Amino acid sequence: MNLQLFLLIIVVITALAFDYTNGFHDTGNAMATSIASGALSPKAAVTLSAVLNLGGAFLSTAVAGTIAKDLVNGHLVTLQLVFAGLVGGIVWNLLTWLLGIPSSSSHALVGGIVGAMIAAVGGHGVIWTGVVSRVLIPALVSVVLAGLVGAVGTWLVYRLNRGVPEQRSEGAFRRGQIFSASLVSLAHGTNDAQKTMGVIFLALISYGAVSRTAALPPLWVIVACACAMALGTYTGGWRIIRTMGKGLVEIKSPQGMAAESSSAVIILLSAHFGYALSTTQVVTGSVLGSGVGKPGAEVRWGVAGRMATAWLITLPLAGLVGAITYWVVHGIGGFAGAAIGFGLLVATASAIYLRSRKTKVDHKNVNAEWKGDLTAGLDDADQPTVTVGAEVPGGNGKVTGTAPAKKAGTP
Amino acid sequence: MSTWFNYEASLKILIFGLLLGSGLPALFALAVRAGAAGAGVVGSDGTAVGHKNPALTALSWLLYSVALVAVVIGVLYIARDFIGAHTGMYILGAKPA
Repeated sequence: MNLQLFLLIIVVITALAFDYTNGFHDTGNAMATSIASGALSPKAAVTLSAVLNLGGAFLSTAVAGTIAKDLVNGHLVTLQLVFAGLVGGIVWNLLTWLLGIPSSSSHALVGGIVGAMIAAVGGHGVIWTGVVSRVLIPALVSVVLAGLVGAVGTWLVYRLNRGVPEQRSEGAFRRGQIFSASLVSLAHGTNDAQKTMGVIFLALISYGAVSRTAALPPLWVIVACACAMALGTYTGGWRIIRTMGKGLVEIKSPQGMAAESSSAVIILLSAHFGYALSTTQVVTGSVLGSGVGKPGAEVRWGVAGRMATAWLITLPLAGLVGAITYWVVHGIGGFAGAAIGFGLLVATASAIYLRSRKTKVDHKNVNAEWKGDLTAGLDDADQPTVTVGAEVPGGNGKVTGTAPAKKAGTP
Repeated sequence: MSTWFNYEASLKILIFGLLLGSGLPALFALAVRAGAAGAGVVGSDGTAVGHKNPALTALSWLLYSVALVAVVIGVLYIARDFIGAHTGMYILGAKPA
């Protein structure tokens, strides 16, 4: 086996692993509010979302112009660089999952690739205007637009349903939520599976396995990506679902439906008008809006602040991991470099997984009362806490993942 | 459109977002309200009035169907290129590749 083929195989495996983390990281985007409001049981929600993600992935007929096209100089992209970028994306996805922070998987991948590019050739390989105008500013725009639309929708819903018995209205909105959540899942499947397909497609082209003029990736790529993402979705990123559905705002079904409609419509509109907005930021904006729009609802701005912080450091930290990985893989070089890089990724992922087992969040306790941060009150062996205690607003119990992120790439 | 910030697209997304993204749940809320009133569950002050009103119930179902149609259009929109590529019917602005 020659080195390029070995690298190609590693890149494909890593890309599918990224797709898997993308799936479970983003389950919450579509399903968190349905789970929190009781519209769907946690298991039913992730199953529905997985099926729709799978279906959505097959609906893509064109490979999204690869994610990095306008962000880095395409002629400088190598297999080692793609691998390093993917590692940056995966490690950041896992860390934010551990902390229960919904952060954008696309941003993590972009950060990883940009970081690896800087490590490889320096800052001139990066198209900085593209990074700002296509990644950073849209993130802010997403939150603001979705927040407005979600707030207006929620306000209208509560205004129009004034006088309707709460039980009746919540029941109706729970049924409505199944449709709105499904729409978000489908849109997500179509958008996000393309991202990984694009990366694998790029790798295949650069290896020469696929012609440069091919319009569609081989069928196995589509099938593998769709399955990896659906599997990830089914696994369910419970920690993130909990933050989205319980931590940020206590979601009732009318708010949930308003938030999901806002998310689905904005994601579709942004695709229609050719201004790609990140799903995660759109959904977070909508959920915040649904808290602002409901009279008397509480928004935990402390939790929102932690998320915003995580978003700000996504690019630099995923980039750092990408850069370190590139140095390791390229510095050692050859088979050994790639193998060591891959080994480090597996070790880091295992360490994060083991850490997450200390306080487990799963389908059984995902809706337990929020007590100031993600895992507070969950320690009692899977038992959802039911005591109605004084609630600590805001969640600043945990620090962001700077330290583990550095540890991640260091041999 | 400036280099840094796509004003035009953002404004369009906001306007259509408010119409559709906020309008759809509002429509659904109207359907819920009409349904509740039609079933005689509620009066204007929230107290039970006790008599049914088939016209309001019908209106409620009409509004629910409009909302459902909107969701179906959403799904067709997502699938439009796929449908176009496989059936030759290019709907909702899909373009042949």
